[in-house]
Amino acid sequence: MRDLESTGRTRVADATASAGPLVDLVIGMKPVVIPETSGFWDGTVVQELRIQKCNACGNTQLPGGPCCANCLSQDLTWVKSNGTGRVFSFSIVHQALHPSFMDRVPYVVADIQLDEGPIVLSNVTDVDPHDVRIGLRVAVWFDEQDTDAFGVPFRLPKFKPSEQ
Amino acid sequence: MSISGKTAIAGVGTTQFGKLPGSTAWGLQAEAVRLALEDAGLTKDDVDGLFTEPQFNEPLLLHGHVIGRMLGMKPNFLSTQSLGGATAIALIQHAAMAIEERLCEVAVCLFGETAKTGLPMLFGAPQMGRGQSDDIAFGVAGGAVMEARSAMRYMHEYNVTHEMLGSVAITFRDHASKNPAAQYQKPLTMEEYLGTPFVSEPFRRYDCAITSDGGVAVVVTSAERARDLRKPPAYITGIGQAHNLDGLRDPNHYTHFAGARSSERAFRMAGVRPEDVDAMQFYDCFTSTVLITLEDYGYCKKGEGGPFALEGNLGLGKALPSNTSGGSLSEADLAGWNQIAEGVRQVRNECDERQVPNAQTVVVAGHGGFQASHATLVISKDQP
Repeated sequence: MRDLESTGRTRVADATASAGPLVDLVIGMKPVVIPETSGFWDGTVVQELRIQKCNACGNTQLPGGPCCANCLSQDLTWVKSNGTGRVFSFSIVHQALHPSFMDRVPYVVADIQLDEGPIVLSNVTDVDPHDVRIGLRVAVWFDEQDTDAFGVPFRLPKFKPSEQ
Repeated sequence: MSISGKTAIAGVGTTQFGKLPGSTAWGLQAEAVRLALEDAGLTKDDVDGLFTEPQFNEPLLLHGHVIGRMLGMKPNFLSTQSLGGATAIALIQHAAMAIEERLCEVAVCLFGETAKTGLPMLFGAPQMGRGQSDDIAFGVAGGAVMEARSAMRYMHEYNVTHEMLGSVAITFRDHASKNPAAQYQKPLTMEEYLGTPFVSEPFRRYDCAITSDGGVAVVVTSAERARDLRKPPAYITGIGQAHNLDGLRDPNHYTHFAGARSSERAFRMAGVRPEDVDAMQFYDCFTSTVLITLEDYGYCKKGEGGPFALEGNLGLGKALPSNTSGGSLSEADLAGWNQIAEGVRQVRNECDERQVPNAQTVVVAGHGGFQASHATLVISKDQP
């Protein structure tokens, strides 16, 4: 496809023909849980959306890091988010440049501003992509449980439209 | 003390651009270096500084070591950087600083890749670090999905239309039609632009940088030495970089890039105002990037970049001739390197049909690293 060729810096169809843990790792089809983000991913398994909070200054942040990006304190904890927010921005992907997403198009990649402040990247589902708008109220739901390339369980947190 | 005007670009080398079956990234890098040295009238033995950006489909550790060995160089200064589309200017900045400090005398800066025919570009854990590529699990693959979210918010906040985005692609394609080296030279109409399906909304195909094989190299040396070489010097009079490393996690960064800070530094160093610039070479990875950068650089107020472009102001002979080679949207996308070569050729008056008359001051913008990084280069025909 010419359109794919002209924009597709990730022509990976051949490379992913034999999918497996190594391919997940190399291509990035699944998250890789690391100590800095394990609080987030552990939360998804019990269907909680969690935000990293600094015990020293109260700053909240996503994704998780080794320190508070505001004050550099390493006294960090994970707190539960209400899981509600608004679509801050989004894109409707019509041409997936990654073969594992080709059967999903069109799909919505969105930046959700949680009511607690941080912006989290996710998908907006359960809605016609063309009805997604900036400002749309959404709530989190959790996709089926899976494991990363090292066997650590996770669920992808996704969002769908919610009432006010 | 400022390095403004103390160094100059003395040579540029550009390989053929486009679909180059059988080419390799290493081969294109080597060819670009040979062409740049020929352009400057220098030989390999003159080079004592090497500044490299790794090819994106093999973001190697020790890239500079490998290409330096292949080129048979024994540099006294070696630098490899990875700042996305801001890397080219950042490397030239590093070279200029090293030369001014007499840490090396003749620097070659290089990049080459086979994005069109080579290995796919990957952003998984081995390339980005474990846990640093998790967004891909949500279907974020390729640059368009990243920048499209900035564009969507920008269009929403400032009533930017698809025609405004399209005018950027159309104007730069018109410039490419005057550039025999450009990958796409056939003029583009608004009807054709709007008739093309979305890739990643709000982007259509022509909003996105093309995919290219190619290589570019730049020779930097002291102003004194550059004056004795084969081509007239293109003086490095202003250079700056700035980074918004939290990218799209900060609501402001969808519509305001680090370009405001990097251009302020570069323009101040050069002692020029935006209106003194004869031509701009934006890193046009996407059409919206050009509009936002126009505003960040002070050419328009926030939200006025779209109408400015739609009025045709970015065209040759207009208020701000921009991307005179066709840029990443039409000439070639080589991470912003070809924009630097074009800037140098403009101040040397080598651009034939697309030449900006009497181009004295040209500004090049570099932008990338998932929208986090920005760099600005001011090059001038005359030493300040």
